Amino acid sequence: MKKDIYQMELLEDSKINIAELDYLILASGSDTRAYEVLGKIASHLRNKIIVIHFKERLQNLALSDPLFNFKKLTLPNLQEITSEIKDPSSCLEEIQLNNFSPTSKIAIDISCFTKPYFYFLLKLLCERFKIANILAFYTEPKSYLFTNGLFSTFHTNSGPLVPWEIPGYSGYEARGSKRRLIILLGFDGDLSKEINEDVSPNETIVINGFPSYTPKFKDISLIANEKLVSDHNITIKYARANNPFDIYNVLNRIKNKGNPGFFMNIAPLGTKPMALGACLFALHNPDVRIIYPLPENYENKYSDMCWNSWVYGLPLMN
Amino acid sequence: MMSGLYRNPFSGVNAVQLTEAKILEYWCNPFIYDLFTEIKEEDVYGDEMNIVFMGGRSTGKSMFLRYWSFPVQLEIARRGNIPVSDKLRADKGIGLYFRIDGPKLKSFFGNGLSDDYWSALFTNYFELLVGRQYIEILIQLAFEKVFNQQILSSDLVPGLNEIFQFQDKGSLDEILQEIDNRIREVEVYLGNVPFYKEPFLPSHRGYLSQSLSFGIAKFLTNKMDYFREINFVLLLDEYENFLEYQQKSINTLLRFTQSQIKFRIGMRLEGFRTFAMISEDDFIKVGREYREVRLEEIVNIKKGSSYFNFLVDVSKKRLEAVPAINERKFTNIKSILSEKENVEQDALELYQANENAIINFFANSKKVPLADLEKVRSPNKPLLELMNCILLTRGNRAEDIKAAMEDYLARRKTDAEKKYRLDYVHKYKLSLSFLLCSIYRTNKLYYSFNTFAFLSSGIIGHFIELCRIAFDEAGWADNESLMNRGEINKQFQNNAAVKLSNTEKRQINRIETYGGIISRFIDNIGNIFREYHLDFKMRYPEVNQFAINVDAIQNEKTQKALKAAIKWTVIQKKPTMQTTGPNESLQDLYTINRVLAPVFQISYRTRGGKSVILNETIVNDLISSDKINISLFPKDEPIGKKGKNSKPPDLFSQE
Repeated sequence: MKKDIYQMELLEDSKINIAELDYLILASGSDTRAYEVLGKIASHLRNKIIVIHFKERLQNLALSDPLFNFKKLTLPNLQEITSEIKDPSSCLEEIQLNNFSPTSKIAIDISCFTKPYFYFLLKLLCERFKIANILAFYTEPKSYLFTNGLFSTFHTNSGPLVPWEIPGYSGYEARGSKRRLIILLGFDGDLSKEINEDVSPNETIVINGFPSYTPKFKDISLIANEKLVSDHNITIKYARANNPFDIYNVLNRIKNKGNPGFFMNIAPLGTKPMALGACLFALHNPDVRIIYPLPENYENKYSDMCWNSWVYGLPLMN
Repeated sequence: MMSGLYRNPFSGVNAVQLTEAKILEYWCNPFIYDLFTEIKEEDVYGDEMNIVFMGGRSTGKSMFLRYWSFPVQLEIARRGNIPVSDKLRADKGIGLYFRIDGPKLKSFFGNGLSDDYWSALFTNYFELLVGRQYIEILIQLAFEKVFNQQILSSDLVPGLNEIFQFQDKGSLDEILQEIDNRIREVEVYLGNVPFYKEPFLPSHRGYLSQSLSFGIAKFLTNKMDYFREINFVLLLDEYENFLEYQQKSINTLLRFTQSQIKFRIGMRLEGFRTFAMISEDDFIKVGREYREVRLEEIVNIKKGSSYFNFLVDVSKKRLEAVPAINERKFTNIKSILSEKENVEQDALELYQANENAIINFFANSKKVPLADLEKVRSPNKPLLELMNCILLTRGNRAEDIKAAMEDYLARRKTDAEKKYRLDYVHKYKLSLSFLLCSIYRTNKLYYSFNTFAFLSSGIIGHFIELCRIAFDEAGWADNESLMNRGEINKQFQNNAAVKLSNTEKRQINRIETYGGIISRFIDNIGNIFREYHLDFKMRYPEVNQFAINVDAIQNEKTQKALKAAIKWTVIQKKPTMQTTGPNESLQDLYTINRVLAPVFQISYRTRGGKSVILNETIVNDLISSDKINISLFPKDEPIGKKGKNSKPPDLFSQE
């Protein structure tokens, strides 16, 4: 298994040939980082750009909103797809018009996708189109928006939440197996508690992003999740917040250690690169279930400014 | 630092996660505490009727249902050194416990496929899950040689093969393996359906409703002597998570349960998404298809003592499980938290910081003559002083007030003393403490066992969570008091109450579909209650309940939102209709969950008397408006409206 060898580069330092890409898929958004990668590589990109819009984000949005900034770029081969956050498969019909082939070179910028959405896309590429490798771009935010204090007010989503299995990641619970829940910690402490109650595992492990983008983030996530992490039955582990392969390896070690009779549930509430690593792990281990709380609404903007942009080479098939 | 053998006794115990051994360790039999009036202990396995156990989150439903399940029966038998077959015979029942988590249930939905389609697939899946448990139990009984080899190979296995429509399974283990394969087939399909949106095409026919769930029980009771006197009890947890079409399917099973197959269902209040059955024109009805048992009831004084005793014993089991606490014998939660709050001491602590605050407040804000105020002062008895000032604003003479107070303090039995004492002790003391806090611009402290028990609103999980946070706070900041004296300071207890209150309030927004609406309603009604608590005329002390006929609300969204609030125990309905005030008619009364009291700085108990009367128009306003006009809810309602003969409410008169 090539789990310890991976491709992860800063976009600025990357040797990848952007011109070789056949497709770039990204989501529109109001966050500054939405088009950071697109802006940097658009002029090199010869082939198709697929921008996925979410109906939920477009509601009551002025045309001057930064979400529409991609229109300022020259993008000759652009496909815009309007879809729903609630139902990732709502893009299926339009996206499969592209007839991706196993040799297609595809990149996806996950910066503004919701997690369930890019999970869906990666499994789609792997399951339906048999694409073995893709590139993923990700731009780190410089800060997140805390509306009223650091420790209890961060929400990437607003309104009611319902924990779901992410479509395509149902896993399989063998008879007599014990449940293990691995929560990649985010800042939204109520979520982790809710999911822990819903899944009701025999064992819960939380993974905190460390080193985090900035030092305070790792503490905010622990404090925001105080109720969960203070439980004496819970184990805390760490993985780098911006490195999907690090989380992949941590998950792999958890899986291989001790009793094999565990039904592994993962709740990717942490950073998107961490979620990306968990996604890759679940693609390689289809018995793993991914749980995520699908909200009725998302905040249109929850991060500010940009830090580094990363390129990850992802082997979708094990 | 604490001993290595210390851990927070109230953390990390979720009934669904507990091992069978832990279930027995933490089990407190609710029947002993007389918490259920509706059923007897033997009804769990024996009652002919299906039973639905209703209660909010953390009311102990899962613990209760799991206790009667086969794995726990097995553990009890092991501990008693008896064969489980004997235990089942003695119980006259076997419990098959099921909990399908919400995410799994919701995966049987969508992707362009119809409810009818999903219903068939879900039924097949559910029947397989039930069938699997029957076989697991049979394997255990076969291990104990309940059936001889001849019966196994000639009757049992062939009979099951026929029910499952398996051709060639030679043993129970093989049957079990095949069931596993078929369950896996469904789950793999669920994983792939979003990418293909195609129907399920299994390698065999799916199972119809009842075919396994009833079919196996029927076969066993008819063909196997051992099962003749044993009921099969399907313990189905978290029924509220079932989607509407899934509930229709199970509701249909409730209608057709047979003599030895019964359901015991755990769900939240208002957890039925539908009462309909698969056939469109039929529905299930309480009293006909099932009985209701409530695990959550608003705590009141009458019911309180058994609930309080239950909490003490639940806590004791947890405290005893922690060596560092047990060896110090700090296992009485009442001693750790103190039994009751001491509002007079709390008031005195405020008073000592500024002894003129009350007098100044009434002189400046209420324009009461300073000379009169000085006459009714009561040094070091600030609640009395405050009540005296209020009595002045009501037109009483300073001299009379002073005389009544002196009689009261000297314990002289006079008419004035009696009225004064009744007003203070039985009617206004707690209300005065809220008003005093507002004068001193500070928050009321919520602490003590009694307060935590009331704040828990009859929800055991709330009480445990209050204790957990209090122990956490004390463990960090006042380890000395906790481990040397077995006490938790009132400030840490209050921190716990405020923290949980805020968390619970924040969670309201997350309630499925109606979270925003309910949140706004609670904000508004909570602030209205707060206004009553800040009424310096104290006409209606501790108002924290409202009256409304939810079923009569015509706006569907409003009605559903209020029912969702009940389901999530944000509001709680009183068990019987009551009057909303003197000379008012009987109505359904509700309180907001008392755990929210610290957020709004209102009373943690309901003393009856005045209720805020709502109607559909007002509720619509409360759920839609961010800023409501509190004057719509007249705290200064003319006293004459109550009628000449009406009496002021006695403490707990409506409980």
